[in-house]
Amino acid sequence: MEKQSRHMFSKVFVNLILIIFSLSCIFPLIWMFYSSLKEKRVFNADIVGLPANPTISNYTKVLTNPDYHIYQSMFNSLRTTFISIVLIVTCGFIVGYIISRIKFKLNRVIYVMFLMGMLIPIHSLLVPIYIVFKNFGLTDKWYTLIIPYVAFGLPIAIFLVEGFVKGIPVALEEAAAIDGSSFSRTLFSIILPVTKPILTTIAIIQTFACWNEFSFALVLISNTKFQTVPLAMTQFTGQFASDYPKIMAAMLLTMSPILVLYFVFSKQIIKGMVAGAVKG
Amino acid sequence: MLSSIRPKKRVVFFYLLIPVLIYVFSVFVPLATAFYYSFFNWKGGPNKTFNGLENYITLIKDINFWSAFGHNIYLVIACIIGQIGLAFIFVLMINSRYTKLKGIHRTFGFFPSTIAAVSIGFIWSMIYDYKRGLLNWLLDLIGKGDSAKVWLNEPKLVMLLIAIPLIWQFIGYYMVIILSAISSIDQEIFEVSEIDGANAFQRAIYIVLPLIKNTLLVCVTLCIAGNMKAFDHIYVMTSGGPGRSSMVMALYGYKVSFGQQNMGYGSAISIGIFVLSLIVILGSQKLITYFSKDKEVA
Repeated sequence: MEKQSRHMFSKVFVNLILIIFSLSCIFPLIWMFYSSLKEKRVFNADIVGLPANPTISNYTKVLTNPDYHIYQSMFNSLRTTFISIVLIVTCGFIVGYIISRIKFKLNRVIYVMFLMGMLIPIHSLLVPIYIVFKNFGLTDKWYTLIIPYVAFGLPIAIFLVEGFVKGIPVALEEAAAIDGSSFSRTLFSIILPVTKPILTTIAIIQTFACWNEFSFALVLISNTKFQTVPLAMTQFTGQFASDYPKIMAAMLLTMSPILVLYFVFSKQIIKGMVAGAVKG
Repeated sequence: MLSSIRPKKRVVFFYLLIPVLIYVFSVFVPLATAFYYSFFNWKGGPNKTFNGLENYITLIKDINFWSAFGHNIYLVIACIIGQIGLAFIFVLMINSRYTKLKGIHRTFGFFPSTIAAVSIGFIWSMIYDYKRGLLNWLLDLIGKGDSAKVWLNEPKLVMLLIAIPLIWQFIGYYMVIILSAISSIDQEIFEVSEIDGANAFQRAIYIVLPLIKNTLLVCVTLCIAGNMKAFDHIYVMTSGGPGRSSMVMALYGYKVSFGQQNMGYGSAISIGIFVLSLIVILGSQKLITYFSKDKEVA
């Protein structure tokens, strides 16, 4: 009897702790959502209560005021993220494959150079990269951020592809060669489909990395025309000052693509991110 | 090997050219440039004067820089204990047979780690806000309203208050990594140990822990690398304040370079960050391999 009640106790206790933790992870999002449907006055009077008269006025204000650059910053983020990922995946695939399979003089040099990229503390490049980009006139362009994002994404991508290609039997390429397929053709129409799982992992990791990146955007972009979402967010908070519901509305709008992506593909995303982290 | 598997040099060169150029331009060129400018007194304008090692001497004596480094180390330690420790405990709980809703805990727990650090910073500044913050609301609710504070203005508390969102954001991330490591352990081991009378605590310490040691060490490495580059959260929440009581290295380099337009010294700080972070990351890795070998012998 006593044992049973102890079991009962640990059962409730364990479940309770986990539920509290899970709720804490999701609660800020829920709180932001229903608070964004309140007016500033209502929110300031009661920060936790549900809105009695939900209103979307915060959203219409954020979306219609051109000073907030919300469309522009979301477009910039989408463009930067998309192009960066395409480049990271393609270049990572090609370089990873070549390093893994082709013997040439500089093979080890290039491999070690990219491997060092996973070790180099990237944040120490914050100021130096600004100086270089400024000298080359590369700051404040629509493509500015793509350059560092690709560079910082490449090492892990190359490393993952290199490891994956090692596991593919060489017979595959030999057979293709006997059939008269050229190097490039084998690369893109035979190897590429085989490596799809690892390329998906890379794309997932980098989507979040690029979409959320803040510090390099902060130093390299000063023109609001080219600012990405995280930069725009620091602007909202300045412009809206203490109008929390409006800040929340703006934040939720800019977070929406990531939210949808996450809750639709959470299984694949979690799997991909974890695989990338552990192998890297 | 057939000749078409070994492509012409020209082809390889063509394929490697662009990735290598982008990479060298964004990583090695900036490092070399910073190294060069670190020997100059340079305010970002057209004029700069060579001053030898002066910047580095200033850096070694710069209390602000070293306290920022200390804050990075504080975050590293807080996050290793908080993130990996709590994640490990939660994993054990999730794996116990009482637990319901395992999938939900994974999905919800992992969620914060996919959100931009900037957003996390804002959300938590709202939580810590004096008038409209959830923390003070909660204190009021439990009748401790008089201990309400302008939380992020407390120099003694600020590092802890910054560590909390950082820890919270990535618990789920490490939780999922550890979960996937445990799921690859043979279930029979648990069954046998249970028959042998090992309780949950004993199983955790003597069976699970040794079997997932390597994964835990990977987590520690990720934790160290992640916290040496702390910037976004702090930029948003306190911007290093009050005073410099929550300054971290990257933020200090940023402030000196852009706030004071002291690019020469900013370059020296960047080189300092580079060297220190590398020492910490490599040093911890050496320690980890040293200790994991030691245990295997024993």
